[in-house]
Amino acid sequence: MLTAVDDVAARLGLAAGLALTQARAMHPALDVVPEDANADAQLLDHIADWCLRYTPLVACDAPDGLLLDITGCAHLYGGEKALAADLSARLARAGLACSIAVAGSIGAGFAAARYGAAGHHANGEERKLLAPLPLAALRLDAAVVASLARVGLKQVGDIIDLPRAPLTARFGGQVVRQLDRALALEDEPLTPRLPVAPYVAEQRFPEPIAREEDVLVVAERLAQQLKLALERRGDGARRIELTLFRTDGAVRRIAAGTSRPLRDPAEIRALFVERLAALADALDPGFGFDMARLSVLIAEPCAPEQIGIGGGDEAKEMNRLVDRLSARLGGQRVRRLIAQDSHLPEIAAAAVPAQATGTDGWATFRAYRTEIEMAPRPLRLFARPEPIETVAEVPDGPPLRFRWRRALHEVVFADGPERIEGAWWSEHGGPARDYFRVEDKSGLRFWLFRAGLYRDLAPGGLAPAWFVHGMFA
Amino acid sequence: MIEELRQRLRGLERPPGLEDGPAALPLGAAAVDRVLGGGLMRGALHEIAAAGEAHVAAATGFVAGVAALASQWTVWVAEDMAALESGAPYGPGLDAFGVAPERLTTVAVAQRRDLLWVMEEALRCRAVACVIGEMRHGALDAVAVRRLSLAATDTGALALILRAAPGDDASTAATRWIVSAAAADGAEPRVLAQLVRNRRGPRGQWILEWSDSDGRFTCAAHAQPVALPPRHRPHRPVARSVA
Repeated sequence: MLTAVDDVAARLGLAAGLALTQARAMHPALDVVPEDANADAQLLDHIADWCLRYTPLVACDAPDGLLLDITGCAHLYGGEKALAADLSARLARAGLACSIAVAGSIGAGFAAARYGAAGHHANGEERKLLAPLPLAALRLDAAVVASLARVGLKQVGDIIDLPRAPLTARFGGQVVRQLDRALALEDEPLTPRLPVAPYVAEQRFPEPIAREEDVLVVAERLAQQLKLALERRGDGARRIELTLFRTDGAVRRIAAGTSRPLRDPAEIRALFVERLAALADALDPGFGFDMARLSVLIAEPCAPEQIGIGGGDEAKEMNRLVDRLSARLGGQRVRRLIAQDSHLPEIAAAAVPAQATGTDGWATFRAYRTEIEMAPRPLRLFARPEPIETVAEVPDGPPLRFRWRRALHEVVFADGPERIEGAWWSEHGGPARDYFRVEDKSGLRFWLFRAGLYRDLAPGGLAPAWFVHGMFA
Repeated sequence: MIEELRQRLRGLERPPGLEDGPAALPLGAAAVDRVLGGGLMRGALHEIAAAGEAHVAAATGFVAGVAALASQWTVWVAEDMAALESGAPYGPGLDAFGVAPERLTTVAVAQRRDLLWVMEEALRCRAVACVIGEMRHGALDAVAVRRLSLAATDTGALALILRAAPGDDASTAATRWIVSAAAADGAEPRVLAQLVRNRRGPRGQWILEWSDSDGRFTCAAHAQPVALPPRHRPHRPVARSVA
């Protein structure tokens, strides 16, 4: 079956829905391409990305439509008509056929673009525009359209002036709602594909730019524009995205995170220096970028710059370093240590991304350690306790000898046990552990534990397993 | 005029990492500091190798002590394999050594190249007093070491390379240490530190104890007579006399 036909085929009398054999019989020279819904969806996504050059509010109207909210954006292109002309010319250059309509509501735009009334329609002309169009143009369910057709209502004009109450009673609320939306009597929000950035600055270039240095210069210039807007509202950027529009329609998005609200253009530029350096594939400019946009995806309140008050300088330098490293290596690789409220040693201290905000908890930890006179903790902790083979042991005491990583260690000194209960409230809490600090003959100091207690042992059950969890200096 | 030129020449001739000034970081143990000429040179690269795989924690103790003495922001860069094999630095344990975990940033890198890049970036940051680069086996590029030394010289930060085993590469590090665990009978953390290369003076070896209360190293020579450990020097070819 044919799912779509191009202009030439349409003129020859072919239409979507026709069986392929029939179409072939009519025109043996027909050129057929198998349908690929995924590729279509991908192409639509690409075009949607590319349409971000006109407005940040782009929504997909699957499977083959896009909705652009150009309120307040059109003047950048010299008016709505000029914008539509620019859009259609660029799409045509990319080899895409399109039908573009500008109208005062989503419904009217949809109807005009898909039912043969493409072009520019001023606000307030919705009624005139819609009246001659078929009812399906109102985005109604096929069943509703069919039942309306049965009583002779075929065009939008047929129902525009009908009394509302009987219409609703007979055909459901959908008809009136969609009609009101199309007539712009009821507001219909557009759900953009991508979250809309609170701060955006963009620049178009008369001549495409291609060099990385130029891109960075542009990023800094845009950051300078953003800085004013950010300062006015007392915000700083936590996540910034640089969108580059290539002349051939490809769109490149590069995002960078920061460890604190940021406004300084030089620092924003420095972030992108690292991001560009870390790109796995080079910043392929093709024939160049003809537009760039810098958007702040996440903004946070940021105190006004304090000047001349000491103390903060080092922290600031450190934040800058963290940002640079995170931009290059990824935020997950740069971490800081925090203390958490848990008695399980592997949870008591954790490494979180250094850019994440939050308290570190070490003051509380130190107070707690003093309070309970916590036994010494190892300097290095294994991510996963490593099982050891104990050669000789006494119940509730440390092993006399054990084998770890194929080497035999003879215990000459042991300290313990320190009992740490498992997380008994949780299903995966595990058994209680008895920790021992042991030293072997060569002076190596291990942090061993026995998972499970002998007293809990079922008669004839397996002896509790031993693990090495960390190493002391 | 000639004198001026001579002075300039002297300034140029001085190898990096050996500048004068308040650059030495005393370890606390008088005997060691005397040999080091006041302490570990700041603004220079030092290499600390564990005597073997199992002694990495001991070497970590030595490094942690030095970082605690430097008492500023510390950046700890480790290759992914290092954390897997030897365990990750553990906050509560570091805290006991005087390394405030809130002033420590850890960075995990996949490649040696990234390790060196992060170290250099961190050394160039003025807030950082101590950069620890933890690597597994394998040689260290002499050019990279030199770059790190220069970066350290610029800001006066300490660059410490922590290796899982003694390297056999010719290094331009200011000092090289081989650290192994020492028997302590449950006392303070204690390590055997062998100074195998010292650009400023003699070599030596000491049993060092980290004193938690004073926050410094002390010599534990009194603890017991130190029998010389077997000279395990895989990084140096064995000299053989020809019969």
